[in-house]
Amino acid sequence: MEFSRRHLGKIAAGLLGAGLLWPAAASAQDMPAPFDNPGDVEIALVRYLSTGDFFQAYLSGVEAQAKALGVNLRVLDSRQDAALQADMVDQAIALGVDGIVIQHGLTESMKEAAQRAVDAGIKVVAFDVNVENDAIPQIEQSDRDLARLALEQAIKDNGEEWKAGYVYVAGIAPLDRRNETWVEFKEKYPGIEEVAQFGTLDNPIANSVANQARSVVTANPDIQVMFAPYDEFAKGVKIAIDEAGLSDGINIYSADISTADISAMREPDSAWVATAATNPAVVGEVSVRALAMLLAGEDPGHNVVVPPTLITQDVLNTQDIKNMDELSQKLPQFAHADVAVPGWMPIPPRD
Amino acid sequence: MADDAIFRIAGLGKAFGPNAVLRGVSLELRAGEVTVLMGANGAGKSTLVKVMSGVHHADGGSMQLGGNPFAPATPAEAMGAGVVTVHQNIDDGVVGALDVATNLVLDQLNAAGQGIFFNPRSIRRRAREIADRMGLELDLSAEVADLSLADRQMVAIARAMAHRPRVMILDEPTSSLSSNEAERLFTLIEHLRAQGVAILYISHRMSDIRRVADRIVSLRDGRIVGRFEDRPLDYEGAVNAMLGRSLGPRNITSKAATQPVFAAEGLQLVSGALPFSFELGAGEVVAVVGLVGVGKTRMAETLFGIHAPVDGQMRLDGRPYAPANPAVAIRDGVFLVAKDRAKTGIVPDFNIYQNMSLPFLRRFSQFGVARRRAERAAARRQIADLNVVCRSERDEPATLSGGNQQKVAVARWLSQPSRMLILDEPFQGVDIAARHDIAAKLRESAADRATLLFLTELDEALETVDRMLVMSEHTIVGEYLNREGDIDRLLADVAGGGRSAA
Amino acid sequence: MDSNLAEKPAAAMPETGSVRPRLPIRALLIRYGFLALLAGLIIFFSHATRGFASPQAAVFILQSVSITGILALGVTATLVVGGFDLSIGSIATSAMMAAAYVMVVLEQNALVAVLACLAIGALVGLINGIIICYMRVPDLLATLGMMFLLIGLQRIPTEGRSIAAGMTMPDGSTAQGAFSPAFLALGRHRFDLFIPNLVPAAVVVLIVLAVLIWFFLEYTRFGRMMYAVGSNARAAEFAGAPVKAYKIWAYVISGMFASIGGILLAARLGRGDIASGNNLLLDAVAAALIGFAVLGAAKPNAFGTAIGALFVGVLLQGLTMMNVPYYTQDFVKGAVLVIALVFTFALLGRNGR
Repeated sequence: MEFSRRHLGKIAAGLLGAGLLWPAAASAQDMPAPFDNPGDVEIALVRYLSTGDFFQAYLSGVEAQAKALGVNLRVLDSRQDAALQADMVDQAIALGVDGIVIQHGLTESMKEAAQRAVDAGIKVVAFDVNVENDAIPQIEQSDRDLARLALEQAIKDNGEEWKAGYVYVAGIAPLDRRNETWVEFKEKYPGIEEVAQFGTLDNPIANSVANQARSVVTANPDIQVMFAPYDEFAKGVKIAIDEAGLSDGINIYSADISTADISAMREPDSAWVATAATNPAVVGEVSVRALAMLLAGEDPGHNVVVPPTLITQDVLNTQDIKNMDELSQKLPQFAHADVAVPGWMPIPPRD
Repeated sequence: MADDAIFRIAGLGKAFGPNAVLRGVSLELRAGEVTVLMGANGAGKSTLVKVMSGVHHADGGSMQLGGNPFAPATPAEAMGAGVVTVHQNIDDGVVGALDVATNLVLDQLNAAGQGIFFNPRSIRRRAREIADRMGLELDLSAEVADLSLADRQMVAIARAMAHRPRVMILDEPTSSLSSNEAERLFTLIEHLRAQGVAILYISHRMSDIRRVADRIVSLRDGRIVGRFEDRPLDYEGAVNAMLGRSLGPRNITSKAATQPVFAAEGLQLVSGALPFSFELGAGEVVAVVGLVGVGKTRMAETLFGIHAPVDGQMRLDGRPYAPANPAVAIRDGVFLVAKDRAKTGIVPDFNIYQNMSLPFLRRFSQFGVARRRAERAAARRQIADLNVVCRSERDEPATLSGGNQQKVAVARWLSQPSRMLILDEPFQGVDIAARHDIAAKLRESAADRATLLFLTELDEALETVDRMLVMSEHTIVGEYLNREGDIDRLLADVAGGGRSAA
Repeated sequence: MDSNLAEKPAAAMPETGSVRPRLPIRALLIRYGFLALLAGLIIFFSHATRGFASPQAAVFILQSVSITGILALGVTATLVVGGFDLSIGSIATSAMMAAAYVMVVLEQNALVAVLACLAIGALVGLINGIIICYMRVPDLLATLGMMFLLIGLQRIPTEGRSIAAGMTMPDGSTAQGAFSPAFLALGRHRFDLFIPNLVPAAVVVLIVLAVLIWFFLEYTRFGRMMYAVGSNARAAEFAGAPVKAYKIWAYVISGMFASIGGILLAARLGRGDIASGNNLLLDAVAAALIGFAVLGAAKPNAFGTAIGALFVGVLLQGLTMMNVPYYTQDFVKGAVLVIALVFTFALLGRNGR
C-alpha cells in the first residue's frame, strides 16, 4: 500500500477514534442531504494506478474536492493488482462507505465488484474504466479529444502532407482510444504518411523510448512529425531528437502535461511544440463532484467528459509558464472545468 | 563354479580422459553368495559399481546377466533388469520427507501403468509385504528423516529389494554405521543371501569382510589382482593383494627433529575432551593417526586458525601462536593441505597455476596486479618437482586424475617455505604412484619445517612418517616411533583408544 | 576352482601425458561463435537498413546500452563471487531520484549530486553485503527485499511525485532548484572523435568502467580472489582469503556501478522519475548471462558482459531501424538469452567439464 505520511496520520487518527473532521467549506444549511451533515459522509477512492505525476495530481484533486465538501475520504490503492482492486471495493462495501470512486482498472475485474457496490446501495462513479453499468456514471478525460486537438495543431503547423513517426503501445485503454483518432486522421488526410511506428512501456519509459526513437530517426531522416500521444513517449522522442541534433527538422505533438514536460517544451530549440491535456486535478475534482451529485439524488449524466486544453510551446513561452501551478493560473480553461457543478456545489479554492 | 555365475563381467575397461580407471576387469557373481570386492582408495571400485549400475558406460569389455548381454543405458534400466545398487551415501537411497511406507514403494509409484491417485491404504499394504519379506521391523508411518542412519540404510536396502533383484551391489554400506547397527545390516544380508540374491559387497573394513564374505576379490589400479575362494579365506593375502605388499614398517630411516618448531601445551580441542601436549621439530615428519571421527580434522583446523581451542597454549618458534583465522596462520608460516580437496582445496574454475598461487597471490603481485609470468614459472617448477601429469600449467583441474589433483593441492603449499606444514588425509582418493611421489617429496623437503600429517590408514603413516601420535576421542593417547616393535602396541592403541595421554 | 590368481602388481600408473585431440572446428565455434554471430548481425543490418553502418549509429547503439551495460558490469562482480544482485535496477532509479532531489529540492551543485548518488550506491551495496554475509540471508532474497525497499523509499521524500525543476512540493511550495548544466552534460555532452560531437559522455563512462572492471577482475589479485570465492568459497577461505570481505566488496561495486547508471539516467532524462528499474535489472542480468557464452568463458566475465550488452543493443536497434514491431523485442531478447545459455551450458558443459 502506498501511503503518504499525511494518510498514515489520518489513519492513525481514525484508529484512535478521534474521527476525521474536515472543516466544512460551505455552510451546511445551503446543502442538500446528506451534505447538510457532511462529517457523516464517507467516500472511498479505489485506485488501480498510482505511480506518476498524473495520478498524484488526480489524487490531489480528489482530496481538494472532498475537503471542499467536508466529507471523509478513504484511499485504497491496489497498485496495479486487478484482483486486489476488486477486493478493495468489497472492503469499502464492508466499511459501509456512502460512495466509491473507482479510478482505472480492468473491465473484467471491476464490472462485478462495481455491481456489488451498487447492489449494496452505494453510489459509484468510475474514472477511465468502463464498468458497463448504467447506474454508474463514467468520468472521462476525452482521449479522442486530446488526440484530435494535438493533431489539428500538427495540421495547422505542418500542412496536410507530412511523413510521421508514431509512438504507440497497444492494449492500454487511453492509448487505444487516442490511436483511434490517429487512424481516423490518417484516413482523412491521405497526405500523412506513417513511416515508422514504435513504442515501449519498459521503465523508465522515456529512456527506453529514447533508445528506440534514436534508431527510428536515423533510419528515417525524412520524418517531419512525431506523434507521441503520451508525455513519457514525447519526452523520450525529444531526448533522441536532441541527441541526433535534428530538433530543427522535427516537431513533436503529444498528450498530457506535467511540470517536467513544461520545462522540456520550453528548452531552447525544443522539438516538442504542442501537447493537449486535461488537468488531472480537475478530473479528480469532477469525479468527486459527480459522486456528490449522485449522493444528493441528482444525475450528473452517464458520461461526464472533462474537456482537454491545447498547450503550445508559444503559449508557454509568451506567458512565461514554468510549472503546473502557473499553467492553472494563466490558462483558466485548464484550471477549471464547468462540469458537474450544480449551484450548491462548493468549489475547492485555487491558488 | 564359474559356470553357474548369474552375473559375468569380462575385460571391462573405462577411462576418464587420459586417466584409465578400469583396465580389463573380469568378475563373476553367483546366486546366494556374497562376493567382497576389496580395493584401496582410487583402485576403481566406485567406477566399477557405476558401470554395473548404468551410471557410466564401459569403453570396452562386456557384461552378462543370466546369460544375456547386459549393457544398461541408465540406472533405471539396470534396476529394471534386476541389478540394484545401494550407494554409499545413504540419503541418496531414501526420500527423507516421506514416510517409510511411501519410500518402500516409491519406485513402483513411478513405474508406468500406475493410476494417478494415491491410495494410502494400498501403499501401506504393499509396503508391509515388502517389510515382512525383508524381516524389517520398523514403524511404516515414521518419517524417514527421523530415523537413525542404520534404519535409513535398512529402508534403502528394502526399497531396493522391492525390485526383486537378482544382483545387489552394496557400496561401503557400513561406512557410517556403528558396529551394533552394522550387525543388523549383516543379518539382513544373510536374509538376502538365503533368498538367492548374488551380492557384491564393497568394503575395505576387515571386520565387515570377515563377517560376510563368501569369497574375496581384490582390485588394484583398475585390475583384479587376486581371487580368494578357498576356505578358510586368506584375508591377509587379500589385503596384501589390494595394497600390493605386506603391512609393516617401510624402509624409512627415522629422523629425529633437528630443532623444536611447534609446541602445544594443555591443548583442549572441544569441551569435555582431555587436554594434551606435544612438540614438533624441524626435519621430522609426524603423523596423527586415529579412526574416523576421533577429532583429527578438528585438530588440524585448530592449528590452522579455523577453530579456536577451548583451552591451552601453542607456541611457534618460541613465540605464542594463536591464529584468529587462516590468513594469520599463513602469514606466520603455518600451512594446511585440507581434507577433501574438492571442497576445501581445489578451485574448479581455476587452472593449475592459478590454483597453486591462490594463497600467495600477494607475493606474486605488484601494486595489486598479479604477475602471471611469475605464477606460471613457479607452477612449472612445482609440476616438475612433484611429477604432476598434465599438458601444461594452464590445464583445468577437472582434466586431472585424483592423484594429480592432490599433487596440485599439495604443491600449492610446498611452493612457499613454511614453518609447519599440516596435511589432513593427503592420500585420500590418491593412487599409489601419486601417494609415493607426494610422500617422497614431503620427506625430501622437510628439513626446515615441522611436517604434521593426519591419517586414518595406518599403512599410509607407516610408509611416510618418522613418528606417530595416536588420537582417540579428541585427544592424543600415545606416541610411537616408526620402527618394528612399536607397531603392535600402536595397533592396540588405535583400536582400543581412551588410554591416559602420553 | 581357481584361487589366489595374483596378477603382477603394477609399480606405477602408466599415465599418458598425451593430449586428447579436440575438434578444432568445435573449439573455434565455442571460442569465437558468439563474436562471429555479432559480426554477422552487424553486416546484416548494414545491408538491410539505411544509416546503420555509420559512426553515429555505432555511437548511439553504444549509448542505448550504456546504462544497462554499466549495471551489467556491476552485477558481473556479484556473479563472480557466486552471488546475485536483484536490487541494481532500483538502486539506479533511486540514485536518479536522489540526484534530482539534491539539485532540484536541496539546490546543490552537480558534484554534490554525483557524490550523493555514489554514496547511496555504496551504502546500499554495503547493506546488501552485510545482510547476505553476516545475517546469512540468501543473496536472491536479500537483494529482492532491498529492491522493494528502494522502490518504496524513492517515493517517500516527494510523496510519490516525480522530480523536475519547478515542481510543486508536498507542502504546496515550488521547488527552486534546477538540474545543473554540468550534471546534464554527463548525459548530453559529446566528445569529438574524428567527427565533432560524436561520442556521448555516457559511452565514455561505459567504456572506462568496462576497461576498469575487466582489468580489475582479470589482472589484479583482488579480482582473482573474487573468482576463487565464487568458484569454491571454502577453498578460498582455507587459502587465507577474507571471504566475507570479498563478497561485501562485490556488492559495493555492484551498488556503485548501479548508482553510476542512475546518474547517467538522471542526466539523460533531466528529471527524477519514479521507476522500479526492473527493466534495467532484467536487461543487465541478460547481458551478464549472455557474457558467459563469449569466448567460451562459461563464467561471469567483464569482457563477455560488455559484448553481451552490445549484442542486445545491436539487435534491438537494428530491428527498430527495420521498423519491426516493438512487441517482438522482448521475444528477441529472450531468444538470444536462451541461445546463449544453451551455448554456455550444453556446448561448454560437454567440453571436459
